[in-house]
Parts: sequence; C-alpha cells; structure tokens
Amino acid sequence: MLRYRFLFEQMVRRELRQKYKGSALGVLWYLINPLVLMGAYALVFSVLLRVADIPDYPLFLLVGLIVWVFFAQALLAAAPSLVQNAALVRKVRFPREAIPASVATVQLITFLVMLAIATPVALAVRGTFEPALLLLVPIVALLFCFVLGLSLAVSVLHAHYRDVEPVLGAALLPWFFVTPIFLRVEDLPGVDDRQWLGDLLQWANPIAPFVDAVRQVLYAGSSPGAGHLAYIAVAGVMALGGGILLFRRMERDLAVML
Amino acid sequence: MSAALAPGEIVLGKATRTFRVRRDRSRTLKELVVRRGSGATHAAVQALREVSLRIAPGEAVGLVGRNGAGKSSTLACLAGIVPLDSGRAQCGGRVITLLELGAGFGPDFSGRENIYLNGALHGFGREEIAERIEDIVAFSELGEFIDLPVKVYSSGMFLRLGFSIAAHLDADVMLIDEILAVGDESFQRKCFARIAQRMEAGATLVLVSHDPGAIERVCRRVVVLDGGRVTFDGEVTEGLLHYHRLLGTEDGASRSSRPAGGGPALEVAELELLDADGHPRSAYRPGEALAVRMRLRARSEAERAVAALEVRSERGELCFRTDTALGTVEGEIEVSFEVPRLALLEGSYDVAVGAHAQDAPAGRLLDRLARLVVSRAEGGEGIADLRGSWTVAGRSTQEEALR
Repeated sequence: MLRYRFLFEQMVRRELRQKYKGSALGVLWYLINPLVLMGAYALVFSVLLRVADIPDYPLFLLVGLIVWVFFAQALLAAAPSLVQNAALVRKVRFPREAIPASVATVQLITFLVMLAIATPVALAVRGTFEPALLLLVPIVALLFCFVLGLSLAVSVLHAHYRDVEPVLGAALLPWFFVTPIFLRVEDLPGVDDRQWLGDLLQWANPIAPFVDAVRQVLYAGSSPGAGHLAYIAVAGVMALGGGILLFRRMERDLAVML
Repeated sequence: MSAALAPGEIVLGKATRTFRVRRDRSRTLKELVVRRGSGATHAAVQALREVSLRIAPGEAVGLVGRNGAGKSSTLACLAGIVPLDSGRAQCGGRVITLLELGAGFGPDFSGRENIYLNGALHGFGREEIAERIEDIVAFSELGEFIDLPVKVYSSGMFLRLGFSIAAHLDADVMLIDEILAVGDESFQRKCFARIAQRMEAGATLVLVSHDPGAIERVCRRVVVLDGGRVTFDGEVTEGLLHYHRLLGTEDGASRSSRPAGGGPALEVAELELLDADGHPRSAYRPGEALAVRMRLRARSEAERAVAALEVRSERGELCFRTDTALGTVEGEIEVSFEVPRLALLEGSYDVAVGAHAQDAPAGRLLDRLARLVVSRAEGGEGIADLRGSWTVAGRSTQEEALR
C-alpha cells in the first residue's frame, strides 16, 4: 500500500491537470459555481419567496451548498472514471482503486479550498471563535470517507452496468431538493405536525446529517449532538468499508470488460 | 502468492482462461431488470487452454501465433492484469509491461512528468525514478520536447518515451507486446541493444510480435501458440518455421511433430536461394534474377507428388504461392523455381517450400524456410514492383519505374 502512495499522488496531479488544464480561470470556475448558486437561491428563498427567515442566509446557504457540490461532483466524476481510463486498466497492473480515489480526492481539494474561503467569512460574521470549530476536522474526514466509499462503488458499478452514470445524474437533482440545504429540517413549515416526515428527511438521507453537521460547526459555531456525530461516524465508516468490499468483488474482470 | 519465485522467473501452470464475448458490448441496469431470454448472447472464446510454461531468469522468449492465438492474453495474465479461470501465472520480482504505447500517459503532462507517472504506475517511488530520469531523457532523444505536453508528440516520440521508461526501470521481468515495430531503424537498434544489456543483468524478456525479424534478433527461444495451446516450444529458427507453417495452413491444424511411421513419404532435404551465377546468396536487389532450388527425398515411392512454394512478408502476408505436379518420385530429385526478375521491393521475406505425395495429410505442406532479403531501390515503395511507367501529357518518360 505504501508502495503506491507515490502513484496516488501522481494520479491526483494528473486529474487536477486534466480538470483545470493548467489555467487559472479553470480553478476559479469551480469556486465561482457554488457562489453563483448561493446568490440565486438567496434571491429566490430569502428575497422573493420570503420563506427563509434565517440570519446571514447567504452564508447558511453557502455552507450547505459546498458540502453538496463536493458530494455530487465527486460521484458524477467518479462514476465514469474507470471506463474513461480503460486503456490504463487494460494495459498496466496497479491498484485500480487509485482511479476513482484520485478523482474523489481532486474534488476534496476543491472542497477544502471552498472551506478555507468560507471559514474566515463565518468567523468574521459571527465575530467569535468557538472551540467547536475544531470538530470540522473529524467531520470533514468522515465526509471524505463517505464520499470515497460511494465513489468506489459507483465507478465499479458503472464499469459493469453502463447506465449507472445517467441514472445517478438523474437522481442527484431530486436528491438535492430533499436534502436540507435551503432550510433546516426543523424550519420546514410542512413538518411541524408530521414528526415522522422530519425524521425521515433528517436521517434516512445519509448526506443530510453531513450537511447539517458541517453547517452547525461552521455557520452556527456549535457542536452537533453525540447521536448526530455517531451517525456520521457510522455512515462514513460503513460507506468506505462497503465501497472497498464491493470494489474488490467486482474489479476482477475489469480489464476484460472495459 | 504461493511458492516464491526467483526474480526473473516466470511460471504458467495449466493456465486457463475463457472470455465471454458479448455481441452487444456493454451491459445495462435495464437489462438486469428486464431479463430477456437466457443469456444466448454469449459466445465463449478459450484464450488459454491449460498452458504450462517455465521461463528461467535471463531468458528471452518470443511469443508468436496467428491473430487470436492467445499471445496477448498470455501476456496480460502474466502481468496480472487479467485473472485466470484456473491454473497459475506468476512472475518473480518486479514486472514491467509495455503492452500499449502511451497507456496511462497524461496528455496534458510533459514528457518528464509522464516519466514519474509511468514509473509510479509500475510501482516505483519518487527517488527511484529521480535517479534514472536523466538516463531516460537521454535515451529517448526527445531533447526539448521532453518538457512539452505529450499530446503534441508524434507516435514515434510516444514510442521512444514509452520504451525509454520501460527499459530503464530495472525490472526483473519485461513483458513487451508488438510495439517495437514502430520507430526508425536506428532507434530500434538502440532498443535491442538496451534489451540485451538488461538481459545480461539478469532480466527476463517475453516479447510478442508478428515480426519474425524482431524475434530472431533478441530471442533464443520461441513459443508458438495456436488456439490457446502451446504448439511449439524450442529453438528460435525451428519455432519460426513452425509459425510459418501455421500461417500457411487454412485451419491451423498443422502439427509440429511428424506423422507416425517415421516421417513423411516425401520431404525437402535441402533448400537454397541461388543468384544468376548459381551462387547461394540470400540478399538481392529488386529486379535481379534468382532461383529457388530444393532437393527432395522420397523415403518410398511417392505417387502424384506435388512441390509447393510460398513467399511471405515479414508480417506474414502471403505475397506469392505456387505449386507444381512432380509425377512419381523415387529417391532424390532436384526441383527449381526460377524467377527471371525479382518483383519484390525492400524488405525481408520468408520463402517456404514443401513437397508431399498426393495422399499426404492436408495441413503439412511447408517443410523448409529460407530468408530472402531485398535491398532498397529507387522509384517505388511497398512490397511489389509493378514495373509500371509514368506518362505525362501524352509523353512517355520511357523509363521503367525501377531497375
């Protein structure tokens, strides 16, 4: 495994180069995207519809959006990655996990840059530094485990069944809307008299607790509850473990089927 | 990994692999849900049938066979890229594969960055690659191009970079597929010299090629594969002759062993290429006269015997085939095929001859092989000299295209 650390580093560099084609504007565009989304949603929900009565709403939105964009972009980029690197898989022997893992890592780097921009903004807006902010490190690590596990799974599934990527693309949009990004679940008027619906939105969707946890730490400056932290720990570890197992089981004939 | 092999040792033990070829390439989720029929779209191709081979450290083995004979599958299994259905395939020590030009190159990476990426893919670390990078750059002769993105490279430059990397990563086993055919003659010479050097240092080479010339240059041992089986394993000249025979038979049912009963009724005892003065020679200029002379020996009286001759290019394409009836043959006779004017152009050709009695089993036509080398001449390219002449605006140049 250690022997391939250098390979992994090289693959990440290759992905980064390919994605940004070495141009400064390329990187910038990936940072602008969530900001544009933030502006549009703030306009719609806060100004036009007036459903979001949340202080510093653009920051609230931004924090949720960058988690979602990381999650969605990583899966969308990872799904076709093995197929796109078919020549490599067929002709060289190396751990194939390196391909989807490097794709997910490139998305992580973009995500970390966004966090590095959002964190000082959040600190400036609140004007105080809470120690809970330090929880961001383990939460982001678990989020990465979660995304990495799913990336491994969708890449190897797509290699076997070529409609995984389009199905995923179609599923992500409704998934985005049922994820509490515009509002917290408890702020939704429709769940007041339907507790079960609130619980469903909060806990049945595994990305929702991650969005919520990052937002609590970064936007609100408070620690998520122990149960909440335990949930994301279990979700992260299970997704990664399951992703690795599935990958190992399904990668056997990759060189033949690609 | 069971029983550890010495570095450079290669073992295939009853290696078997079947591929399921699907008429409609990729599967979809929809298909999984809506099951149609009972998988009648599969056709199984046996790429390897219980292939057993043992290659010692430092050996250079050429793997030849017709298209689909299992050569590339064998290499992919040895490299651990394609898993076996049963049996074992193992290489001792570090393995480097050169199965496709530029596999794994990042198109936006410079040549130098790609050296690191490629080295990493083969399991080498940063320091190990840094130690060798200057040698690799020098060997590749890429000069300033080494710092440009490889997407601007020509295929020749790709080859030079790919081979330079593979040749300098001090692997114990080198698995190379077909690619030495690209590139100019001087670089090819350099590659062969480097391979020889690596083998002196104890590295093992398995080379797949359609080019008997390349195999002859580096390999002492040849393994001929046909239909997923080893049909010959031994000395290189004999192996290439066997391969040639395979190419000459329609169904490939040729046997390397002679039929039972102590050999065929009729065989070619001697084969020579003679020039216009009757001297044996193997190199000719286009347009020269030559004769193919063979001495046939009949063990017993061979009735309605036939002699056959064919010429193939280095790549195995048939250039010419002819045969002649000999009547009844007893003892030894001499048969010649005279070519008044050699209509082949520059290249290396195989002249194969054979003789058999009418009732001989089919598929054992060709018996003996001679190499014919044709030198360069002005006026045309390709393999055949069409002896044409150009006419411009009704005025004939009155010149033969080639002399």
